[in-house]
Amino acid sequence: MKLLIVEDEPALNESMRTFLHAADYLCEAVTSYHEAIEKIELYDYDCIILDIMLPGGSGLKLLEYLKKNDKTEGVIIISAKDSLEDKIKGLQMGADDYLTKPFHLSELSVRVAAIIRRKHFQGQSFITAGDISINTEGKTVKVGNHAIDLTLKEYRLLLFFCINKNRVLSKNAIAQHLWGDDMDLADNYDFIYTHIKNIRKKILAVGGDDCIRSVYGAGYKMQVS
Amino acid sequence: MKLFTRYNRVNIAVTILAFVLGSIAFFIVLHYILIKQLDDSLRSEKQEIMSYVEQHQELPEIQNTKHQWTVYEYAKPPLMPSYIQSISILKDTKHGKEDEWVRQIIFPVRVDSQDYRITVSKSEEETEDLLQLIILVTVCMIGLILLLNYVVNRRLVTNLWKPFYKTIDSIRAYHSPQQEPLQFSKEKIDEIDLLNESLHKMTENIYRDYYALRSFAENASHEMQTPLAVMRSAIELLLQQQTEWNEQGMHQLFIMENAIQKLSKLHQSLLLLTKLENRQFVLNEEVNIDGITREKLEERNELIAAKQLSLQLSYEPITVFLHQHLAEILISNLLNNAIRYTPSAGEIDIVLHNHTFRISNTAVGGSLDKEKIFQRFYKADIATDGTGLGLAIIREICNTAGFELSYSFHNNMHTFLVVFP
Repeated sequence: MKLLIVEDEPALNESMRTFLHAADYLCEAVTSYHEAIEKIELYDYDCIILDIMLPGGSGLKLLEYLKKNDKTEGVIIISAKDSLEDKIKGLQMGADDYLTKPFHLSELSVRVAAIIRRKHFQGQSFITAGDISINTEGKTVKVGNHAIDLTLKEYRLLLFFCINKNRVLSKNAIAQHLWGDDMDLADNYDFIYTHIKNIRKKILAVGGDDCIRSVYGAGYKMQVS
Repeated sequence: MKLFTRYNRVNIAVTILAFVLGSIAFFIVLHYILIKQLDDSLRSEKQEIMSYVEQHQELPEIQNTKHQWTVYEYAKPPLMPSYIQSISILKDTKHGKEDEWVRQIIFPVRVDSQDYRITVSKSEEETEDLLQLIILVTVCMIGLILLLNYVVNRRLVTNLWKPFYKTIDSIRAYHSPQQEPLQFSKEKIDEIDLLNESLHKMTENIYRDYYALRSFAENASHEMQTPLAVMRSAIELLLQQQTEWNEQGMHQLFIMENAIQKLSKLHQSLLLLTKLENRQFVLNEEVNIDGITREKLEERNELIAAKQLSLQLSYEPITVFLHQHLAEILISNLLNNAIRYTPSAGEIDIVLHNHTFRISNTAVGGSLDKEKIFQRFYKADIATDGTGLGLAIIREICNTAGFELSYSFHNNMHTFLVVFP
């Protein structure tokens, strides 16, 4: 899977590239509007991660260019602007998703995965991690050959882990993924623990691997080979 | 009171006073002149009698008229010298006896060694008649002038004020700094033109400042969120190098992550407050308060369950004109606040009724400081972890939308009440 990262802040650009590269994506990274246009003209990508404010031109202009040239790349806008109008405008102009800075790389990873699933498999996809396999269309989960029954939150949490397998996910990233921004958890992460405990119980009940570990002081990690 | 009415009151009072004073002065002067004329004619009567006596050595025959009569009386020395006086006498008229003022000259004459005192009287009636006429004319004049003054002023002033009212209407229609600066057409009156020009300049400045501030706030947001994004992603990458950190190190990274989260949230809240103050939201969406409340409660049911809070909700449909996003923030903040500050196993009551939203929750301490709770960064308990902006945002949204917001404390319950218009 090939990604293009368009972000003018070099440090952030570098972090995204490192993180997504480790998730087995082929990443190319540019820092300006013109470089991005050059790359898009030459190659096809599965997904473009696009900053709005770029030297040389707006990310929105790049969206227009893609539309005009019938490019089918999925686009995630990453912007510091959290204004609703910008979000709506970006999505109307053909972007597939919108992430507000500062975001978690694990969250970006999930969004990229979702876009690629939509673009390539018309929504049909199986995501596997160890002996866990998730059908994202039917939202069903199998451990080995046994289907397990999860609540919606548990399902989303497990999917988050599977896409970010072998990664440390901070409690913050998990909380934001599950509950969004506008909830006030008051630094209470017991809910995450409760959900993870339930998932582990359900996996163990059908004889699966207990692969979700607690990383002391920071978060959790799904360890699979 | 209208300017014209006030002006008119003063104008009429001053006019009447001037006319009254003028009339009194006129009356005094006129009276003086008429009396002087009477005196002159009395003196010439005296002169005639004196010269007759000198020529003929006898008194002239008396010819009395209605307005002038002469009386001869014998007199004994010492004789009074000649003098003039006004006296009131009783006179027979067709209406019975009436007082009448007469002017008299009294002088001594000696004829054939006999002394006489001669009194020549002239009625002042004619003078009084004249005065009465003059007063009547004056009063009519005052009345006429006042009436004309009023009518002319009224028409003139109304016309003169027209451009002023036009300007006032433009100002009334101007209620948002996002609006274009006010434009006025040229008027015939310099003062109005001056006013219009000043208003144009003022609104132009407001417009410019507004956009400068707005773009500053947005750029500041961009410039600050990007370094935060850099820090967050760097920490996330560091977390992945788990094997190189001990537990303490991992925990430090987690603390940094949390701080970034808080900083980002704080910044978003401040930006939202700025946008609210700048009236950057158009409040024309019909939003369903009860729907949002149920949705936001649903999202929080885990939190409520975890704290074993007992929740009571009673609602009826309420729709208000607001911005969907703002309505969600308003309800979320009220709920977050209640959940955060209610002790475990406490109680939260939410009542949506009769265009009001009331949320009460069990208190830990006593009543909060009504004056301070809506201030930015005010925290009743310093140790709590919120941004200190939640209630400030709630108040600002209510201000913007024209909702009434109040806090009260009863039976160990904090209550926040929002009254929709």
